[in-house]
Amino acid sequence: MTTQTQFATEPTTDAAVEQKLRKLSELYADAPEIGKAALKNGLNMLTQELAAPGRAQTAGRIGARQGKVSELTVFLPFVKGGAKRLRGFLQLLEGNFRAADAVGTVHNMRFVFVDNDTKLLFATAYDGDWDIYIEDFVAKIPNEMDVLFSCWIGWPGIHSPEVKDWIAKHQITAEGWYVAHPDRSVAEIHRLKRIGKAVEEFLDAVG
Amino acid sequence: MATQTPTRPEQDQSVEQKVQQVRKLYSDAPELAKKALENALPGLMSQAAEAQASQSESAGRIGIRLGTISELTVIAPFAPGGAQRLRAILRLLHGNFSAGTKVGTLHNMRFVFLDNDTKFLFATAYDGQWDPYIEDFATKIPDEMDIIFSAFEGWPGIRSPKVKDWIVEHQIPAEGWFVAYPDLTVAETGRVKRVAKAVEEFLDKVGN
Repeated sequence: MTTQTQFATEPTTDAAVEQKLRKLSELYADAPEIGKAALKNGLNMLTQELAAPGRAQTAGRIGARQGKVSELTVFLPFVKGGAKRLRGFLQLLEGNFRAADAVGTVHNMRFVFVDNDTKLLFATAYDGDWDIYIEDFVAKIPNEMDVLFSCWIGWPGIHSPEVKDWIAKHQITAEGWYVAHPDRSVAEIHRLKRIGKAVEEFLDAVG
Repeated sequence: MATQTPTRPEQDQSVEQKVQQVRKLYSDAPELAKKALENALPGLMSQAAEAQASQSESAGRIGIRLGTISELTVIAPFAPGGAQRLRAILRLLHGNFSAGTKVGTLHNMRFVFLDNDTKFLFATAYDGQWDPYIEDFATKIPDEMDIIFSAFEGWPGIRSPKVKDWIVEHQIPAEGWFVAYPDLTVAETGRVKRVAKAVEEFLDKVGN
């Protein structure tokens, strides 16, 4: 069992920031001119960022998390015919993924066909911890999972005891992950919407 | 080609027809997929019916949009040394992207290193149309853009007149895009957060 890594939250000292900036300048010494010039211009901004406490966290077994929102990215070859099947299926749904709404922890997800339909990129933003998230999919929408992800080479099937290991093995953790509202889960955002609507109705009634 | 004249336009074809098409597509799928499709079909029928109501649209020049939220995905090779530089800067930033907040239309973004650090995947969810979004970045955080994206081979620089064409050339529109709350922009979410907080404070006062 991996423990949730909690990163240092102490403010970084000026000396440490100085040192980090020096290291960056060294690294960018052989960058394209555009990159070098931008680093010089951006130093003020960087100084602030580097002095702030780190916000990057882990989603558990694998993946990055910021606040309540985690990322999952898998990039793998299609099986023979997989691209054609998946495209047909996605076109049928036309952006209507009620299954994802049923899971209730998916902020967004994309399916991208790469390198002339030879590889599928799946990238999603979801709530909380990796293990719980995957188990939720297994429990709530197993068939939809298999219909979608059987287009990947080697997909073991959602009911296979190996499915979690398979995903973890192929997932690529983002080196950088940013979320605008890291303090809100999907459920909380839906609640906020209801509050916003209620307040509007209330004010209308008063007005 | 069938000779019969279609009575309805293509996108209006019946759900039953569409489902039959997908079934046909999956006829040579692995067994587990075929079985899963049959199990999922009852739910899919109604989803396909709903689909006509909530279709994803174009984000403008490239990419797709659901409601107010669009997707942008770029995969391109790293410049020499680009992976090393980008990794170092991302580690130093440690999740602090105040530049993203400054732009104000960015829901989330990820930087992923592919194929043994030879390719760089950038994927983001943002508000609205492609052109104003890119222009916003160029205006508000040009240096941050160049620091990060000069890791791409051939990045022309955010101030280059060619930068938009470069992005379009390397962007891959998603084939499928789902957003849980397509009607909420980043700004709108911020606003309802403040409203909810005010309501809580108000109720606290009433309760006392």
